[in-house]
Amino acid sequence: MTTTLTEHIVTDLPQVTAVGVIIKAVIILAVISAIAGFGTYIERKVLAFMQRRLGPMHVGPYGLLQIAADGIKLFTKEDIVPQNANAFIFKIAPVITAATAFIALSAVPVFPDFTIPDFIPLLGGTFVPSIASDLNIGILFVLGMMAAGLYGPLLAGMSQANKWGIIGAARTAVQFLSYEVVTGLSILAPIMLVGSLSFVDFNNYQAGGIADWLIWKQPVAFVLFLIAGFAETNRTPFDLLEHEAEVVSGYATEYSGMRWGMFFIGEYANMITVSVIASIVFLGGYDAAGALGWLFIMAKIAFFFFLMLWVRAAWPHVRPDQLMWLCWKVLMPLAVVNIVITAIVMMV
Amino acid sequence: MSLEQFKNRNVGVQSYKTLDVGTTPETGMEKFTQVVKRSVKGELFVGLWVVMKRMLQALFQNDMHTVKYPFEKLPISPRYRAIHEMLRLLESGHYRCIGCGLCEKICISNCIAMETRYDENQRKEVTEYTINFGRCIFCGYCAEVCPELAIVHGPRYENASEQRASFSLFEDMLTPIDKLNLQQEYDGFGAVSPNADNNIKQTPLAY
Amino acid sequence: MYEIVAFYLFSALTIGLFLVTVMSKNILYAMTSLAAAMVLISGFFFMLGADFLGVVQLIVYVGAIMALYSFAMMFFDATRDIKEKNTSNALVFLLGGLSALVLVLMFAAPIMSDNLNTANMLINGMSYSEFIDGNISKYAQYALDNGIQASVEGIGNAQSVGVILFTKYLVPFEVAAVMLLVAMIAGIILAGKKMDNSLTKDASIDDEILVVKDEK
Repeated sequence: MTTTLTEHIVTDLPQVTAVGVIIKAVIILAVISAIAGFGTYIERKVLAFMQRRLGPMHVGPYGLLQIAADGIKLFTKEDIVPQNANAFIFKIAPVITAATAFIALSAVPVFPDFTIPDFIPLLGGTFVPSIASDLNIGILFVLGMMAAGLYGPLLAGMSQANKWGIIGAARTAVQFLSYEVVTGLSILAPIMLVGSLSFVDFNNYQAGGIADWLIWKQPVAFVLFLIAGFAETNRTPFDLLEHEAEVVSGYATEYSGMRWGMFFIGEYANMITVSVIASIVFLGGYDAAGALGWLFIMAKIAFFFFLMLWVRAAWPHVRPDQLMWLCWKVLMPLAVVNIVITAIVMMV
Repeated sequence: MSLEQFKNRNVGVQSYKTLDVGTTPETGMEKFTQVVKRSVKGELFVGLWVVMKRMLQALFQNDMHTVKYPFEKLPISPRYRAIHEMLRLLESGHYRCIGCGLCEKICISNCIAMETRYDENQRKEVTEYTINFGRCIFCGYCAEVCPELAIVHGPRYENASEQRASFSLFEDMLTPIDKLNLQQEYDGFGAVSPNADNNIKQTPLAY
Repeated sequence: MYEIVAFYLFSALTIGLFLVTVMSKNILYAMTSLAAAMVLISGFFFMLGADFLGVVQLIVYVGAIMALYSFAMMFFDATRDIKEKNTSNALVFLLGGLSALVLVLMFAAPIMSDNLNTANMLINGMSYSEFIDGNISKYAQYALDNGIQASVEGIGNAQSVGVILFTKYLVPFEVAAVMLLVAMIAGIILAGKKMDNSLTKDASIDDEILVVKDEK
């Protein structure tokens, strides 16, 4: 009985080939890098509108080509390695940030799956999956990769022989380590409800429409995850790693040109990852099958991305001690209580 | 009238608001209640709503505050002290400067240099007149001291150029002879600003 | 094929990185290579199909423990080489080599005994395929007895780890948990003795600082 069922499923699904996965990886790299560039434009525009300004206006229509101008600037800028810095580590640190951000995206469903039409030579008929690597522990993998991402800022700060860099690196370690706890604990309650670590299972669990969304069952976990997500992506209320008013530019003080740009791309890719996790785990994901569902999840991701910019325009950032206080004395106990209550409700 | 009112010299309409900052919490319980109050009260969402409202106004009611500077400029005050101008006599078109040298003397950054001579009518003539704008601090003493209202401060504030000398020759500062009819008379230093009536406050006459 | 290539690649890289960790005189190199080797070890877990353990390796060792190490490393000047004081290189190599040998023997002993058994059985006239079949059924029975069900349909990696952790390894698991709790409480007590004193408000601490200055 079970064998026939699995055979049926296997024959029904298109074959996922190595070529398809590679195409998917290239698509993720290209599109997310482009979105990261476009994200800077959106960020400037949204912040400008919220401050009654116009934002970039002069390069291209409504400043759209500002991205290209920025790209050219970043690529052609002089690449400086400070004299006393550890050059090898200094050069490798931005790559770590960008790479871990993109590796995390490999286990996340971005963009619908499709088959390349037959009229294209060489690749025609190749099935491109929605997830580059469909692990059955997707959420944990993404969290783990984002945890590994902390080495980028950390090594950057330690290798550059700069006091601001060291302070930025110390803040990186403290902030990321602390908020990983909150991220993990807050997302544990939904995992217990669904009983799986796979993004697909999360999506199927909430397939029944808005009433089935996990945000109604786990509002506390949702809020905690959002707060921790802001901290892990180094967004404004918690942007202590590179806050200009305090530590010049933190871990990025000595960086210039494309190396600095890679930190930036990594940060934006992480923002997208957190948005995707929040939309799939709490807001139903790509609930409806087909193109419409994918449009919905794009809208949800866009909303979370906008929320990050919105919050940056509205709220001041916190002090480091307030950050730690918030993490260990407020958010973590709340997350633990939430897990215990969820467990009790599930048992009863 | 009571003494209290005499002492209150701020007679104009004030629009200050006193914020209720509350008290600083001392005990742990007070701190806790403060955190809970602030978290639940929704002040954070008020902040979010404020910027969202601004954004909607900016986008849909065209309430943008950006001045696209090189293409549009804000009007500046008529009393603004920017690059100097040398004025002409309206009837004859001759420059007003009589070469008295008062401006050169009073200049505290020592940036005005002038040379004069007697012309054939035994009238003083200005042969050289330069201002070193690398040194000028735009204090306005030269315009204040000028007995003929010949040197004044104009509204030309964009003084970026390839050479400092670009503005500083007498001919550059002098009103062009064909634009003599556009020359604006200068009220002189100490003249009230055009919008002075709006700024003035009621004078307390009790004493 | 791919797995063999990946295995040897990962092994060579991991050993190389650990060598860098031990040999390098630069804190940054040692730290970075140790973290990178931890990442590569998680690669072995993924290759063996133990996704859950691989990710746990990533989160715990790479994300938390190594990050804490590096946090401690911030008290040193990371851009300078460290001067090591070795009294005798021969002693270091002797001790290191001996411990490595002991470890290898420890891990190799069960395999060696297995091989010896095989040889014995082959000598006693059992065919090789018969022996393999018998062994596989033995392992399958063992797996069923102990709740290892990784290959069973519908039960994922995480579940099997959970089952085995709370049945077979319950006591070691709980003991480890208690040990960590003890360590945590001890750490808090050691670090938190002066936690209630404020450096800015308390006058007695000001005095202490003054005293320290005077002594200098």
